[in-house]
Amino acid sequence: MTTSAHMTTGAVAAPARARTATAVATVRRRQGFQHGGWFVAPFLALFVLFVIWPLLRGVWLSFTDANISGDGASFVGLDNYREALNDRAMWDALGHSAYFTLLVVPCITVLAFLLAMLAHHIERGKWLWRLCFFVPFLLPSTVAANMFQWLFTQGIGLINETFGLDTPWLTDKSYAMLAIVIETLWWTVGFSFLLYLAALQGIPGHLYEAAKLDGANAWHRMVHITLPMLRNITGLVIALQILASLQLFDQAVVMMDFGPGPEVSTRSFVQYTLEQGFTSYRVGYASAMSIIFFVIIAVVALARMWLLRNREESGR
Amino acid sequence: MGQGMGRPDLSRRHLLSAAGGLSVAASFGFAALGTGADALASGADTRVRYWNLFSGGDGANMIAMLDAFRKAHPDIDVKDSTLQWGNPFYTKLAMAAAGNRAPDLGVMHMGRVTGFSPGRLLDPWDVDLLAKYGVREQDYNPALWKRGVIDGKLYALPLDIHVQLCFYRRDVLKKAGLLGDDGRMVPVTSTDEWFDVLKKAKAAQKKGLQTIGLWTNDQNFQWWFFVAFYTQLGGTWFNDDNTEVLFDPDKATQVLEFLRRHVTDGYVIPGAPTGEQFINGAPFTWEGNWSVPVFSGAKLDYGATPLPPVFGRQATHAESHAFVLPHQAGRGGATDEGAHELAAYVVTHALQWAAGGHIPAYTPTLSTAAYKKLTPQNEYVSAMDHQATEPKVWFAGSTGVLAQDLGPVVVSSTMGSAKPASVARTMKKHLTRLLAAKNPMDGRTAARGDAVA
Amino acid sequence: MTTAVQVRRSPRPRKPWTPGQVVLTLLGVAVSAVFVAPIAAALFTSLKSEAEAAEIPPHWLPKVWTGQAWKALWETGNITDWFINSLVVSVCVTSVVLTVSALAGYGFARTEFRGKSVLMGIVMSGLMISPAVLGVPLFTTVQQMGMVDTHWGMILPQCAPAAMVYILYKFFQGVPRELEEAAFIDGAGRWRVFFTIVVPLARPSLAAVGIFTFIASWNNFLWPYMVTNNPDLMTMPNGIATVMNSYGIQWAQLMAGGLMAGLPLIIVFVFFQRQIVAGVAHTGLAGQ
Repeated sequence: MTTSAHMTTGAVAAPARARTATAVATVRRRQGFQHGGWFVAPFLALFVLFVIWPLLRGVWLSFTDANISGDGASFVGLDNYREALNDRAMWDALGHSAYFTLLVVPCITVLAFLLAMLAHHIERGKWLWRLCFFVPFLLPSTVAANMFQWLFTQGIGLINETFGLDTPWLTDKSYAMLAIVIETLWWTVGFSFLLYLAALQGIPGHLYEAAKLDGANAWHRMVHITLPMLRNITGLVIALQILASLQLFDQAVVMMDFGPGPEVSTRSFVQYTLEQGFTSYRVGYASAMSIIFFVIIAVVALARMWLLRNREESGR
Repeated sequence: MGQGMGRPDLSRRHLLSAAGGLSVAASFGFAALGTGADALASGADTRVRYWNLFSGGDGANMIAMLDAFRKAHPDIDVKDSTLQWGNPFYTKLAMAAAGNRAPDLGVMHMGRVTGFSPGRLLDPWDVDLLAKYGVREQDYNPALWKRGVIDGKLYALPLDIHVQLCFYRRDVLKKAGLLGDDGRMVPVTSTDEWFDVLKKAKAAQKKGLQTIGLWTNDQNFQWWFFVAFYTQLGGTWFNDDNTEVLFDPDKATQVLEFLRRHVTDGYVIPGAPTGEQFINGAPFTWEGNWSVPVFSGAKLDYGATPLPPVFGRQATHAESHAFVLPHQAGRGGATDEGAHELAAYVVTHALQWAAGGHIPAYTPTLSTAAYKKLTPQNEYVSAMDHQATEPKVWFAGSTGVLAQDLGPVVVSSTMGSAKPASVARTMKKHLTRLLAAKNPMDGRTAARGDAVA
Repeated sequence: MTTAVQVRRSPRPRKPWTPGQVVLTLLGVAVSAVFVAPIAAALFTSLKSEAEAAEIPPHWLPKVWTGQAWKALWETGNITDWFINSLVVSVCVTSVVLTVSALAGYGFARTEFRGKSVLMGIVMSGLMISPAVLGVPLFTTVQQMGMVDTHWGMILPQCAPAAMVYILYKFFQGVPRELEEAAFIDGAGRWRVFFTIVVPLARPSLAAVGIFTFIASWNNFLWPYMVTNNPDLMTMPNGIATVMNSYGIQWAQLMAGGLMAGLPLIIVFVFFQRQIVAGVAHTGLAGQ
C-alpha cells in the first residue's frame, strides 16, 4: 500500500491569506482533502468496539479463569496456554481443520478452474452455466448442510441409492470428513469459479490470436498463455480458501447434528473452541484457544503477503 | 450515471428508492423494538416462555399437554420453543441465562443440574408456590427429589425417569423359541446366555437385517450402555469424597469386550439405522424408552425389558427430565407464578407423558389404573428400582463433559479402532483428569470438601 | 447499470454448432445437472408426505405430490418470524456497512489525517478476524453490552468488515482526483463533493459491496447462532439448523424451510446476475 503521490504535508498552514485566485484555489483544493478523520470515524468506532476491543479482551481473558457468567474471573497467568498446548483434543481438532483444508483447497481450485474453462468455452447459454455452478453458494451454509446430511443418510439418502452404494457416510470415521468435504465442494466452488471466469474473460484475445498465428495448438495456448495469466487469481483463490477452510464450522456441526462426528473425527478447531467456551463454560480457556487460532490465521495471512511481495520483487 | 440523465424510468427509480428507504427505516425500527414478531402479536396478560428439548413422539406429547394447559388457563400464554436435543440446548440455555435473556421455564436432565451452576444460571423453585398448585415433596421418590436439591434449595422439579431398554420383537422371538409362557422374553443372567439368545434369534430372523441395534456409532448410547453394564458388575467411579478415582479398568474391559463382541460376532451392522431395522424385522434393539411411541405407532408386536442383567445384577442406565427456572435478574411476579403453575400442571398430568414411554416421577400417576394398563410400560416400570446413573459431580449428566469425553472412547472400542483394555486405561486417565479439574463456574473441583460452599 | 445492459443486447451473429461445441455443451449440461440435483432433490422431497420422505429405499420423485410440508411450515413453524428477522438484520447490516465503509474507504483513499497509514494497517489486520476466530471474546463483549438475544447484538458486530473498506478504498484510489479538485475550486464543501460527485461515481462498486454484504448477512450462521438463543429472534439459517432440526425426521418440512431460506437470494441472483458476477470479479481483482 504505497501512499498516493499527492502527498500533502504541513505546508497548508504557510500560504495563509493568499490574495490571488490561484492561491485560493490551491488552498481550497488542499483543504478539501484535509482532516479526513471524520470520514473514517464511524467505521473506526464500530471496528474498535467489535474487532479491536474483543481482541484485547480475548487476550486478557486468556490469562484468567473466566466463565460464561461474566463475573468472578481471577488471573491465572499462562495456565490456559500451558493446558491448551498439552490438550490432545485441541491438537486433534486442529488436525481435523488442517486435514479438511488439505483436502478442500486443491480440489476446489482445480474444480473451479475446470468449471470456468467449461463455462468460458461454451458459446451458448453462458448465464445458465453461471447460474447452475454458482447457485449452491447462495444457499445458507446450514441449508446446504441439511440437504447433504439427508442425501448422505444411510437408508433414506439418495446418494447411496443413486450410485448403488451402502456407505455409512455420516456414521463412520473414515467417511465422515469426506462427506463434509464433498458438501463443501458443491456448496462453495461457485465463488472461486466466478473469480476464474472473470479472470479468463480478462485475458486479452490478441494474445491467443498471436499464438495461433505462431502455430501453437490449444494445449500450448493453455499452458503458455492461460495458466500464466491466471497465476494471480490462483494465488488469491488458494489464499481465500485456506483461510475459509481453516475456519470450518457450519457444515461440520450441522451434518453431524452438532456433535463431534463418529469417534470425534470431524470436530474442528472452531467447534472445539466454542464447545469449551459455551458448553463447558470455560471462557478463559476458550479465549486462549481463540488467541492461538488468531496467531495461526495471522501466520497464514502474513505468509501470503510475504509470497506476494517476493514475487513482485522478482518481477513476477 | 448521475441521476440527471433524463431516463424515462426516473419516477420508477424514485419510487424504488423511496420503497428502499422505507424498508430500511422499518428494519431499524423493528430492530430497535428488540422483540420478535411473535411477541408483538401476543395479547395475553401473562406470557410464559418455555424452552424444551423434546422432539418426535415426546415433542407431540408435550405439545398435547401444553394445549390442555392452555385450554384450562386462557389467561396464560405459553410460548414453547423446542431446541435441538443435547449440547446445543444446554449451550443455548446457559448463554441465555448468562446474557440475562433466559426463558421463564426450562427443561433439563437431572444429571446436568449440579454442573449448571445452581444459583448462577438457575433460580430455585418456590416450594410453597408449587404446593399451591398441587406438587409436594411427599408425592415423589425421596431419592429422586433430593437429586434436585442443592444447598438446601430445590432447583430441579423432576418430571420423569427414563431408562435404556432392550426392545424385542415378540413375533421373531416366538419363532426362535425365546418367549416364556407369559409372552415375555426368557430371562438372561449371563453373557453366554445372552449370546445364545442372539444366536437363536439370528437363525429365526429375516435375512439381510441385523440381529440387534446397538447404536455402535453413537457416543451417547454407547456411554449409557457402558454405564449400565459397568454398574451391573458393581463398578464404581470415585470414593465418597470424590477425591480418588476408583474406576476399575478390569471391569471396564469386561464391559467393553462384551459390547465389542456383538460386532465381531456379526450381530450388528454398524451404522445401520436401528429403529428402521427393528421395524423391518430385526429381533432386538437397545433404545431409550422414548422409542415406545415410535414402535407402538408402527403397530409392532413387541416387548421391552430393562437391559439384560448379563453380569448377574439388574441395572440399567437411567436419567430424569426435570423442570428448571433459568436465571433471570428480576425473577418473580405473574410470569414467574405462571411458570410454577405450568410446571406443576405438566408434572401432575403426566399420564400423557407416560404414553411416551417415560416413567412418571409424580408417584400418584404410577398407581393409577390407567398407567398400570399401559404396555410395554408395565413390563419395565421396575427399572426405576435399579438405576445405573453417572456420579453426582459437576462434569456428569446427559451429554455433559464426562459423556463427551468418554463416549467417543467407548465407541472406538466397540467399533474396533482401539483395544478394550487400552480404552479402559484411557477412560481411567480421563476420569483422573476430570476429578482434578475445576468447575469453571465456581473454581472448585468435584471433591466433596471443595464442592460444599 | 442500464447502459451496460443495453450494450449487451446488441444483436450478435449466431455461431455455428461445431463438434467441439456440441461436446462442450453436453458436458456443461451433465455438470450442471450434478450441481442442480441436490436442490432439485430437496424441492421434490418438500413435495412429499413426511412418511414418503423417510421411506426406505428412497426415490427422487414424489409418488403422491402434496404441499403439506409447505403448508405445515406456514402454520406451525416460526418460519415467518425468522424470515422477518433475517430481512431486518440483513437490511440493517447492509445499509450500515454501505454507509460506514464508503466513508471510510474514501477517507483512507483520499484524505489526509494524522496516523492514517497506521490506522489503515490496523484496519487491514481486521481481515484476519472473524467470529470464527474470536467468537468467545466477542460474545462476552456483546454480553457485557447487554445485547445478547437482541437484533442489535446480531447486527452491529457484522458492521465492521475490513474487506469492504478495502474494496472501496481500492476503488476510490482509482478515481481521478481532478473531478473533486474542480469542485473544491468552485467552493463546494467536502461532504457535498462526497455525496454529489464521489458516491454516484462509485455506484457499481457500492452495488457490489451491498450485494455481497446482503448475501453474507442473510446466510450468516455462526454469529447469529452464538448471540441468539431465543427462537423468536433467530434468523432463517440459525432457526433451521437449531430449532427445525430438533423435530428430527421431518425431512419434507426441513427441505421446504431450507428452500425458503435460499430462495430470496436465488431470485435476487437471477435478476442481478450481471451485477453480482461483476461484483465478484471486482472484489476478486481488487484482492489480487
